Amino acid sequence: MSFLRTEKIKLSPIKQMEILASQIPDVVSLAQGIPSFDTPLVIKKAVMKALGRGVAAKYSLTYGLPELREAIEQKLADEKMYYDFEKEIIATVGSIEGITASLISIINEKKDEVILFSPSYASYPEAVRVAGGKPVFSNLIEKDGWKINFSDLAKKINARTVAILFCNPNNPTGTIFSKEDLFKLAELTWKKKIFVICDEVYKDFIYNETRIDTDTNTDKHGYEFFSLAQIPDLRKMVIRVFSMSKIYAMTGWRIGFIHSDEENISEIIKVHDALVTCAPTVSQYAAIAALNFADKEINEFCRQYQERRDLICGYLDELPEVFSYQKPNSSYFVFPKILKIRINIDKKTDKHIEGTHIGQYLYPRKSVSWDFATDLLNKVHVAVVPGIAFGPSGEGHIRLSFGKTEKEIHEAMKRIKNYFNE
Amino acid sequence: MNKFIVKICLKWCAKIYIWRIKPHAIFVAGTVGRYWAKESVVEALKEKNFPVRASKKNFNAEIGLPLSILGLPSGEGSFISWLKIICNAFNKAFKSKAPMTKEFLVLEAAIDRPDGMKYLLSIIKPKTVILTGITMIYAENFENLDEIALEYKILLKKMPWNGLAILNFDDERIKNLAESSDRRIISYGFSKDVDFSIERSQKVSDGQKLEIKINHLAKKVQVKIGRFGRHHVYASTVKEIIKENFKISTIDFFKQIRD
Repeated sequence: MSFLRTEKIKLSPIKQMEILASQIPDVVSLAQGIPSFDTPLVIKKAVMKALGRGVAAKYSLTYGLPELREAIEQKLADEKMYYDFEKEIIATVGSIEGITASLISIINEKKDEVILFSPSYASYPEAVRVAGGKPVFSNLIEKDGWKINFSDLAKKINARTVAILFCNPNNPTGTIFSKEDLFKLAELTWKKKIFVICDEVYKDFIYNETRIDTDTNTDKHGYEFFSLAQIPDLRKMVIRVFSMSKIYAMTGWRIGFIHSDEENISEIIKVHDALVTCAPTVSQYAAIAALNFADKEINEFCRQYQERRDLICGYLDELPEVFSYQKPNSSYFVFPKILKIRINIDKKTDKHIEGTHIGQYLYPRKSVSWDFATDLLNKVHVAVVPGIAFGPSGEGHIRLSFGKTEKEIHEAMKRIKNYFNE
Repeated sequence: MNKFIVKICLKWCAKIYIWRIKPHAIFVAGTVGRYWAKESVVEALKEKNFPVRASKKNFNAEIGLPLSILGLPSGEGSFISWLKIICNAFNKAFKSKAPMTKEFLVLEAAIDRPDGMKYLLSIIKPKTVILTGITMIYAENFENLDEIALEYKILLKKMPWNGLAILNFDDERIKNLAESSDRRIISYGFSKDVDFSIERSQKVSDGQKLEIKINHLAKKVQVKIGRFGRHHVYASTVKEIIKENFKISTIDFFKQIRD
């Protein structure tokens, strides 16, 4: 028996880190991007009602419940994106299923390269490989606030390139790509006739001082977020992905959606059907309630995340010789650069030890950020994600999530301080 | 706060408001495309300079409808909020002053169980009804789609003698309802034998273009919309019907300017 297709696919390093962390008692994790909040009560009540009515246990249409897709269409229209709920929107199993289904539908033997920004979400390369494609990284420019390097990007596009897949606001950097850069990106991809898959799951967590564009209307937080899916002329090349997981604290419900022109959706739906038949119906009812009734909760989540961001950045400011970082203006991640490393040095021989012990296991040395993250986990029981998980230019960084409670952030950051003060 | 008490209070406050103010109520009903049809009606009436109020998103059933009539928000899960809303409801019911020009109230009417329409009609009887379509959605508490159609039959029956029903004849069930109604009917759809016939509908890069033929006037209207999907074509047609049928009188127009 062989697993030729999957043997090169790895479990995401974020999940690897969570598995390692689960073996250690008293661990505080700032690794996985899980909101500390529970799903809002208004959503849970609506689901209980649906369960009581006996309507949530059956398959929905493959596209999803029409009520949900109508609610999505209305929500999108509020954000100046105009898509037909009947033919251009699919309810998916979180965003990653939408991404994978899209990739499977567009990747073929002649066009199999998908460009990913580095750093960007750790599961993208594996999703590309699952779809039979090859991830190609284009490094973002850290010193310019993790901006797109257009000259590098242009060089990476070739006859085999089928799409660019990116996350905006970006995970792990928490930065937002400017409207100007997105237009440049659109122009480039339009000329090269390649798809743009934009994953915008953090777009509702934008913090106050961020001002993207002042000449257009502002969103409910008072600031404008721009999406390429707002431009009608790009409908045929843009596939937009969104998830309820982060915005409504619904990571476990596994519900999201994708939308694009009918021409694309009519192909993606075939893969979606083959993979999952439909998104979980019970979660679709939850999503209807979320879209219709949970706006107040989003604003509250956003306010609290901003406080937590300031809290975690305050701690990082106390360690200037250890970390340098750019204050994130979105999402709930900060991505500091490691300036000082004190790991795996044998005190007797003063030599670097190849490998990292976690409990009884010895893990081979992978990278500086991996070593640092595992050492931190081993010594002070704090789980973080090594930057290498997010692509080559993520190396030398770690990702800290401030989706966790203030108490957890205080505890984790105090331990990190102790780790360096030892 | 007990849902039953809230429901009863809101219902009676809404009834008193309607009795005192006497707005022109327009119901947008159907199981699909209600929201966009409602938005189109509001746009059309505003274009004609009528004073309009409309139900907010999803304020369309037992609690939402009276809230829409009274122009109040939802108390959501908060007892204190509901208490305040009930107080405001009484205020609105007894203290609101009728505007100089008749107010239009555009309301979505949603039903999710048999006899749902009877309850909504016990609050308000619309003078104009728009029926968008009857599909499999929201059908969970109904035996079948015909049972939903029966609810709309009741709606048409309860309209005043001078009421107007705007019906989508592309939906066979809705077309059949027209046969049993003696109210004034305006039909619309893609077929040629309707009052407002959608002759051409074409998807373009930034929306849809359509041509609507108004049969009794032998007139054609070209419309361009920045939205996609058949339901927007219908909503635009409804907009044209409203524009054609609701025209402000010159007296009312000057009255509004004076106000």
